[in-house]
Amino acid sequence: MLLSMIVLIPLIFAVLTLLTKTREQARVMALIATVSVLLLTVYTYFNFDSTTAATQFEEFYSWVPSLGISYHLGIDGISLPLILLNAIVMPLLILFTWNDDRKAPNRFYSLILITQGAVLGVFCALDFFLFYVFWELTLIPLFFMVSIWGGPKKHYASIKFFIYTHVASLVMLLGIFGLYFAAWETTGTPSLSIPHLLAQFQFIESGITRDLIFLALLFGFIVKLPVFPFHSWLPDAYTEAPTAGSVLFVLLKIGGYGIFKIMLPMLPFTASPNLMITIMGALGAVSILYGAFLALAQKDLKRMVAYSSLSHMGYVTLGAAGLVSLSVSGAMFQQFSHGLIMSIMFMSCGVINKATGTRIINELGGLAQRMPKLAVIMVLAFMASLGLPGLTGFIAEFSVLAGSFVNLQGYVVLALTAIVITAAYHLWALQRAMFGVYKEKLGNVVDINGYQTLAMGVIAILILYFGLNPSPVLDMMLTNSEHIIGLMAGMGV
Amino acid sequence: MDLMLFAPEITMVVTGLAVLLIGLFLPVDSKKVLGYLASLGIIAALYLTIASLGTNALAFYDTLSVDALSQFFKIVFLVVALLFSIASIKYTEGSAHVEEFYVLAIFATIGMMFVASANDLMVLFVAFELASISTYALAGFEKKNPQSLEAAMKYFLIGSLSGALMLFGITFLYGVTGTTSIPGIAASGAAIAASPIGIISVVLLIAGMGFKIALAPFHMWAPDTYQGAPSLVSALLAAGSKKMGIVAAFKVFIVALIALQVQWQIAFAILAVITMTLGNVAALSQTSVKRMLAYSSLAQAGYITMAFVVLTPMALGGGILYALSHGFMKAGAFIATAAVVYMVLSENKDTKDPDHIDNFKGLGQRMPVTALSMTIFVFALAGIPLTAGYMSKFVLFSSTIQAGFAWLAVIAIINSAISLFYYAKIVKYMYFLPTEGTKISEPLPYTIALVVAVAGVLAIGFWPEPFIYWAMEAGKVLLAGGI
Repeated sequence: MLLSMIVLIPLIFAVLTLLTKTREQARVMALIATVSVLLLTVYTYFNFDSTTAATQFEEFYSWVPSLGISYHLGIDGISLPLILLNAIVMPLLILFTWNDDRKAPNRFYSLILITQGAVLGVFCALDFFLFYVFWELTLIPLFFMVSIWGGPKKHYASIKFFIYTHVASLVMLLGIFGLYFAAWETTGTPSLSIPHLLAQFQFIESGITRDLIFLALLFGFIVKLPVFPFHSWLPDAYTEAPTAGSVLFVLLKIGGYGIFKIMLPMLPFTASPNLMITIMGALGAVSILYGAFLALAQKDLKRMVAYSSLSHMGYVTLGAAGLVSLSVSGAMFQQFSHGLIMSIMFMSCGVINKATGTRIINELGGLAQRMPKLAVIMVLAFMASLGLPGLTGFIAEFSVLAGSFVNLQGYVVLALTAIVITAAYHLWALQRAMFGVYKEKLGNVVDINGYQTLAMGVIAILILYFGLNPSPVLDMMLTNSEHIIGLMAGMGV
Repeated sequence: MDLMLFAPEITMVVTGLAVLLIGLFLPVDSKKVLGYLASLGIIAALYLTIASLGTNALAFYDTLSVDALSQFFKIVFLVVALLFSIASIKYTEGSAHVEEFYVLAIFATIGMMFVASANDLMVLFVAFELASISTYALAGFEKKNPQSLEAAMKYFLIGSLSGALMLFGITFLYGVTGTTSIPGIAASGAAIAASPIGIISVVLLIAGMGFKIALAPFHMWAPDTYQGAPSLVSALLAAGSKKMGIVAAFKVFIVALIALQVQWQIAFAILAVITMTLGNVAALSQTSVKRMLAYSSLAQAGYITMAFVVLTPMALGGGILYALSHGFMKAGAFIATAAVVYMVLSENKDTKDPDHIDNFKGLGQRMPVTALSMTIFVFALAGIPLTAGYMSKFVLFSSTIQAGFAWLAVIAIINSAISLFYYAKIVKYMYFLPTEGTKISEPLPYTIALVVAVAGVLAIGFWPEPFIYWAMEAGKVLLAGGI
């Protein structure tokens, strides 16, 4: 029941929130829901055994027996850190928006809660049908979020996001169908259970079928992640979304999750694993470099952050393709770390835009003098993002690069070049926007309010804490990545 | 004994006659009661049909059969008729011809129900025509509206032509086999396959039913008719009458002409691809919502047609389930449009295109229930999970892959993705574009019909097991060649 409660509480509260009349009620309702999820998650965390890669807290109810569909939940060390990330940031996000004045607050908070429920559902689902339902459910609230509260190009961005990721989901669905029927043929009974289908994958006779299934699923995941060249929805959607929407996008770690949970266990059984590794590694390395270059060229602070997000997501596929437990767990940690860091970065863009009326880096300047609290937090996040030791970003990127070097030297060298560029655009943007002489024409800018300080401050502390002591989440990631690597032992990959 | 098997049909006939008779004696301002009466009759028939699920019997010298297939489709037709009759309570308000409106719809439904039960091509044809003639008149119900008249005229001319072609095809089959009984024709399959007349009759029958199902290239009438006819009648045509074409084609091709399977399978594969692609592409550029829904209805018929190509129990079950889902989704979408048209016309009687997409601007604020229902219907039509549309696509598309027609599934899925674009456009207009209009009170009958349709869409989406079971049972009847 525990996992069901974690998934369903946000969805139920989404409906209740929709029925509220005032901003006051809506935000309190959203806070109650997200804090309850946080408490339940913390309870789950302390009862979780991180020394085993086995699935825990399983729940199983038959749903559509004739098609082998069931309501099947369960978590392991791949999903729990992401659930934790989501559960921690969500209440802080609600606090961050506490004093915002916007139209239709009940719908706004309701959409946030639907997104949370859907994302948590993806992380907990052990049935492909359920997985796909939650996967698609993430689309709708974000589509509305961008379309209703977004920036000037919101309609374009929301439709682009919707179509891009929906098409990717459909391709993924084709892959799921392929897997489902191939297994059905072998075993004689229909089942959409993820563990069952992953176990059956190796018994598909035709190598081409196995490769096609793998690629179809991979396509769905990397568009959602996203990496080059399927990223073009990202800068638009991230930039046009309202601040809360951008943070939700950042917490939408389902693409990377799919890679660890589904792609890696399948990888050794594809007909041409080396080709798959090359594809994943190359896409990752190119994304890291390409995203960094594009970020360097941006004039708009938020767009820069969006491209830096693309660059950082490259580490996820690169690390996954690295296929040693250090690189894989590093890539998992990158997902966790990126969620924390990018939340602050997007929140910073939001408050700066609100305070000064612009996000163009050249028009900003010396904000640190008027916004000292923001400056402290933002500098920390920027440092973490560019990979300064002692902060979460460093651990993730270092593990990925060091681990992947074993198998993928060429790609790692490419990615290493990007580190210089990454440092450059982060520092440059920080220097021009926050430091230097204060531009008087920005008017009387005031610092972030108490709620915002609290929200961003807590995340900043977590970045520092997990940067110094990653083991609370890294241990379970390691357990699971060792398990995955163990599957590949002797496969010649 | 035979009569008891047709209790739902008898209930419908009694309801129709009662509506007609009572209507004659009622003053115009109290004719509202007819709508309630018709709805009650349909609910009773629906209850009787559901209660009799599981019955298998032949009746009236084996010309009619009651089995899982016929019962499932009767449920589809009755559901559509119910939605139609509830929503019509508001639409017909103040009209002097209320009883005719309801009687025509009820008789059209009876025709459809008999098509579902037909075990003989003559019965099938007569029932088909009963439904068709009733709907011709309904399409032209707004006598003072030239668009409505044009719609009726086009529908009538092309419908009669298709009826003639179908009858011609049946004649050929009779000529070769000496019988009009569906199992009889199936038994003489070898004779038909050996004679060139077999091919001719397949062509004629595909053309005849293709018109009714609106398969491209026999679809030309559909957009004009759906757009011009009163919105609620369009709901009946797209959601009900089209399914009648499908069940008729199921019986004629999969049961009677199974010997010519190879020939018509190819034809249906081509028709399915053309129809879904043309429907979706043409829908993209429409500004009239009814026209957009008409083209989307083509696309959906294209998906269902895949069942003829795949012909596995799962595919047929999927196609049949799709028919029920489509009944809820499409009838719902047209009823929501009808509510908008009603609102627009009651604000300004002379509006030229009351169903123009611009009139949907800000509907989320103006008519929240209608807008939310419409959102659910279009998302369901697009195949978003936990709706009837997704569940049906899941069964149908996945069975296509299972049977080795991956290329067809890929085309269908690409089409499904294209369709999202225009469905999302409606949602965008309703929720994101500003409007000068103010919030209005939504007409209750429309709202009730919408809520019923939404309940159906979500029930199949969330709790599909019984629906899938009955759809599969219905599919088995076809593959077994009747009962």
